[in-house]
Amino acid sequence: MKFKAFVTENGVSLLDRRFLPALDKMGKICHLFLTREHAFFLHNLLTSPDGIQSIAQFRKQALFDDYRISSQNEDRIAFAFDISLLLRAVRSSVSIISSESGGANRLQVKLVKKLPPNSTQPMPFLTFETKGYKSAVIQDVPISKPLSRAQLLQLQAALDAAQDLPRTLVQVPDLNRLQNFVDRMKHVGDLLNVSISKYGDLHLQISTTLITLGAEFRKLLVVGDKAQAPDEDRDLSAQTRSERAILMGDAQSVQVSVRHFSKSLQCHLAKPDCAFYGIAPQGACLTVIFQFFIPGTRQTDKSISLHCRLPVLDPGSS
Amino acid sequence: MSSSAMEADTSDLVCQLDNVQGIVDALSTVRWKRHQDAVVELSEHGIVLIVEETGCLQAKVYLQKELFIRYEYTAQGRPRFGLSLGLFVDCLNTFSVPGHSSTIEIRYPGPDMQLLIKSADSLDDCIYAEIRTRIPETISWDYNFEPAGSTPLSFTVKSAALKEAIDDLEWPGSSIQIILKPVPPSVTFRGEGHGDLQIDFMYYANTDLLIAFHCEHQVSYRYKYKFLRATTSNIPSSVTKDNRGSKLTIGRGGMLKVQHLVSVARPSTSHQHIDSAGYQQPSRIAYIEFFVKPEEDEDTVND
Repeated sequence: MKFKAFVTENGVSLLDRRFLPALDKMGKICHLFLTREHAFFLHNLLTSPDGIQSIAQFRKQALFDDYRISSQNEDRIAFAFDISLLLRAVRSSVSIISSESGGANRLQVKLVKKLPPNSTQPMPFLTFETKGYKSAVIQDVPISKPLSRAQLLQLQAALDAAQDLPRTLVQVPDLNRLQNFVDRMKHVGDLLNVSISKYGDLHLQISTTLITLGAEFRKLLVVGDKAQAPDEDRDLSAQTRSERAILMGDAQSVQVSVRHFSKSLQCHLAKPDCAFYGIAPQGACLTVIFQFFIPGTRQTDKSISLHCRLPVLDPGSS
Repeated sequence: MSSSAMEADTSDLVCQLDNVQGIVDALSTVRWKRHQDAVVELSEHGIVLIVEETGCLQAKVYLQKELFIRYEYTAQGRPRFGLSLGLFVDCLNTFSVPGHSSTIEIRYPGPDMQLLIKSADSLDDCIYAEIRTRIPETISWDYNFEPAGSTPLSFTVKSAALKEAIDDLEWPGSSIQIILKPVPPSVTFRGEGHGDLQIDFMYYANTDLLIAFHCEHQVSYRYKYKFLRATTSNIPSSVTKDNRGSKLTIGRGGMLKVQHLVSVARPSTSHQHIDSAGYQQPSRIAYIEFFVKPEEDEDTVND
């Protein structure tokens, strides 16, 4: 089992300033899944079905060059690590690279087995090595034992299952504003009803015995199945409108945790260019998809993708 | 459950305001603990919110109708209802967007006696809330504040200085004595507990802190620290930033009245000049009043 690559300048800036800070908010422990063509950062795919799943996928060229991987599992390697440790290692490597003059510094990352101090058992590490003219700095990020073949297949299956797209997606107009709102909403209740219609309506509501608090965003851009909003909808309240749309089969509604919803919005730290919410078929989960443009264009950068799946709570449990 | 289907003439009150943050600030001033029941009273003059700590402390927030850009009151009598202050403040807070001035509409009662709030800015985005109200608990009316005598016993001090003094008195804690002396004109806060701490405001020496002073004979009363603290613990930052003053008056029997002024001006006009007494045009001010009962202490000397 071997993995060795150089992190490109673009890769360093993607990880250091955008993705690792965003993924750090999703949860402390993350899986890195490396294949011949892709690197995935995965949260909660294997471990906890109750947690928010996040899937960040990079084509190898987006992060690395001179990318070499080999393993007996069709050249696939996966392991778990503490995302804050990885972020620290990348951050300090960045400071070394930028402090040494000359362009000869490159950041190499590789999988190693080492004997840690005061131990007789060799342990796996992801090692970051910065070589300059004057010095070389090596940082070892402790990682879990690489996943076994069975676990790897399970992870691959979970990853494949997490790729199904909602039929209707609506574009969130202003992520920062929505996050601001949801963060304040958190004080009022724990369970959030989210309904999304083919008309381009996104309706969020918290309802407890003492208070109902909701927000409705209308006329959003719809991707996928869309429909014309009925004219008589205009003068109705937000609640009636979404109830009618659900009855007519033009909208779906699920209940998720406000905390999960707020966490999913933290992905704006990865600086996506736009975000879409949709409900997976049969209301299996609430999906949020972040889109990244090729810098300077309005074209989707297909080498980077990020999406989260929020577990749906049992409506009976409220 | 439809809120927009409501007709205006079935509501006792429909009002709109354009500075949610100002109202949140004003209401937060009287939020001294997590769970507080409040009583709201509506009238043609405005909205009054009352909270109290049984038998010791009462606070009122006056939101005069001039604070609202629209105030339509059609009720007979004065409708009153109870609600959770924390929930009300947290709910209003979600309507406040930093950097935007947001307009909201408040309506009472809804079809199920709820308090209805909705944003009134945009047709395509809407935030709405329905807060369940309760039949109000009776308010104890023994906070009726009466002047101590023919001349007032009062002083006005910079809100920031008052808060700082009361915060500092946390260390001796428990019971705080407030002494007003005509000669030399001064106010003393004195705490005895884990050590002694005395804070003096001398009228002539600190005219920038102690703005006004009225006292013809020495008085001294003791108040529980935690109630004094409640009067300043949640003063919004806008009050200190605007360099406002708070007025403290001692009434009959030592009842202490603490008054704060909280600006509910639109964010764009908040930079206007404010004179040294901290008074702005009164129409954009929410008045906050606390009433603190003194400790019944045999040793307190009043001459």
